[in-house]
Amino acid sequence: MPASPQLNLQLITLLAAGMLVLQLLMVAQRQLLTNIRLFAIQSLLLAGIAGVSAFSNHAPHVYFMAALTFGGKVLFLPWFLRRLVRQIGIGQEMHPWINPPTSMLICGGLTLLGYLVARPLTTAVSGTNTFGVAMALVLTGFFLLINRRRALTQVLALLSAENGLFLAAISLTGQGMPLVVELGVFFDLFIAVMVVGILVFRIRATFATTDVHQLNRLKG
Amino acid sequence: MLLLAILVTPLAAATICAAVKSRGALETVNLIMSVLLCPLAIALARRVVRQEPVGALGDALHADALSALVVCLTAFVGFVTSIYAVGHLRHDARSGKVSPKQIRRFYTLMPLLTFAMLLVPLANNLGVMWVAIEGATLASVLLVALYNERTSLEAAWKYIIIGSVGISLALFGTIVTYFAASKAVGIESSKGLNWSVLITVADKFNPAAMRLGFILALVGYGTKAGLAPLHTWKPDAYAEAPAPAATLLGAAFINCALYAIVRFTVLAEKTLGHRFTGNLLIAFGLASILIAAPFIVAQRNFRRILAYSSIDHAGIMVAGIGFGGKLGAIGAMLHMLFHAVTKPLMFFCAGNVQQHYATPYFRNATGVIKTLPLTGGLFLMGTFAVTGTPPFSIFQSEFTILSAALAESRPWLATIFIGGVVTIFCGFLVHIAKLTLGTPQPDAPAPATESPWKLTALVVVAAAVIVLGFWVPAPLYALVEQSAEIIRGSP
Repeated sequence: MPASPQLNLQLITLLAAGMLVLQLLMVAQRQLLTNIRLFAIQSLLLAGIAGVSAFSNHAPHVYFMAALTFGGKVLFLPWFLRRLVRQIGIGQEMHPWINPPTSMLICGGLTLLGYLVARPLTTAVSGTNTFGVAMALVLTGFFLLINRRRALTQVLALLSAENGLFLAAISLTGQGMPLVVELGVFFDLFIAVMVVGILVFRIRATFATTDVHQLNRLKG
Repeated sequence: MLLLAILVTPLAAATICAAVKSRGALETVNLIMSVLLCPLAIALARRVVRQEPVGALGDALHADALSALVVCLTAFVGFVTSIYAVGHLRHDARSGKVSPKQIRRFYTLMPLLTFAMLLVPLANNLGVMWVAIEGATLASVLLVALYNERTSLEAAWKYIIIGSVGISLALFGTIVTYFAASKAVGIESSKGLNWSVLITVADKFNPAAMRLGFILALVGYGTKAGLAPLHTWKPDAYAEAPAPAATLLGAAFINCALYAIVRFTVLAEKTLGHRFTGNLLIAFGLASILIAAPFIVAQRNFRRILAYSSIDHAGIMVAGIGFGGKLGAIGAMLHMLFHAVTKPLMFFCAGNVQQHYATPYFRNATGVIKTLPLTGGLFLMGTFAVTGTPPFSIFQSEFTILSAALAESRPWLATIFIGGVVTIFCGFLVHIAKLTLGTPQPDAPAPATESPWKLTALVVVAAAVIVLGFWVPAPLYALVEQSAEIIRGSP
């Protein structure tokens, strides 16, 4: 059990760094199911951060959020997405626009940018790097979104950016947002993934593919 | 009590609609809901104008003049849309475009969307406001995808992906703003996002964090309002959604997004001063007007032209707030009012023409005034109104915003503003004049009259447009004035 505040802080920074590493792994590899697994592990680290932060701040509602993150993002969403992959029987390859080495370079640049934007804020608070990591997660998440052309991998990119947002909330205030807001955000997230699931199904049925590059009729 | 009633009405309607099956029952429930909401919204407006802001549920809900204005506009748009929807969907059902299941889906989603749109201005907590805007987005994604065609799925997909990026940025902005406020608000963090708390201490926020928070919130909610550069989902979604759903998006939901931008602007202005927020708002506003102009001039599709018009109007309102001063704030609020009243007319007329000609393209639909006389005439009148021609009301609000720009001695920006607005006027009018007054093509459908439901909706909106051109009722103007005061920072 972590005891001193210093240790807690270091543990959080370590876990956050782990989240960033997993994000970069997502950028580098090509398998859809592996990607879902990486997202689950990333969410597990996030739940860990929430747990440590709840312990060190004596904030019971953050324990609740940690549990919700674990149940929702580590267990349920990956299961739901994997089932969706099986049901529509889409292939494993992700077909990114930009090849992995170049993508890694770009994401390295985005991480730097995230730190740069975060600096005026983090120096004002506690000096932790966690908010910088959160910013980097959001930016690389958006890059992943642009770089992927399969419908489901775009959703995974958005979810990892969302992980960055949760990390930002915890790192800035130590307790995350008020409970009602966190619950609402979680609720919306689940509905959003359901809606996406419905759309992916219908796109698959109508276009016989989930390559969103095919969705190119509407112009002007 | 009043606030709760406003929120419970659509929620109850959605629950009933999820349970009943017959089309008649669905239509009736939606009509009853939208009729009930009108007196409730008016009662709220009267109470807010006379007294202090209203709160409920231990301050979880909070309504001031600005909230009441948005609630009233949502109620009005919802009212006319629910009438129009009956005629529109019956036509779609007859032509086999929608199945009974899809009709049921529409009538269940519409009260859900209405509920979310009403929660946006009534939520005291800026985080709950975010949740409501995201909820409204998700409901409207399914409405955009309703027809289940290739193009509507494409539009819905683009909408949810671009919208999710925007809404993530808005959430990020909310988180950073929460952090900016955390020192000033103190330890009691569960109320740390409540507007009624934030506004009293907004001058003590952390400026670096507020700056970042405002930029993120502006870009994020700007996506929902359709401000450039994240406006690209709008033409697709507005053109592919069923016309009644497009009306709700284009005339009511846009106000919710602008409302969120206004709230963050007020907070940021107290911390950072008007120059910072004003310049950003003007930049986004003018960029949206300038981006919309060429697309309107070169447009081939009369549903998409309405989306670009709405990008233009969002830009005008944001620019008005950016120019600032009393004139800018009043101009922006008047514009929100006039736009919300005028736009449904355009969506209804476009929907009628599309159903009658079975095409959304200008080249295939000409001479509407000969085949659908009332729709054709009102479409032309609506075009004059929506592009800001006197005597219609939008001229008045655009002129007020222009005066605001000149009063703040920004003649160059005022010139760009006029340039954009005039270009859009010309482009729009040429297209719609051809559509309504041109010679009908030989294979044009036979002349017809609109169904009574569509007719009622058209007449109600047209009457409102004409009346507002000459006379704004005093209580309504008081509401607008007080909303403008809130924009200028009075609690």
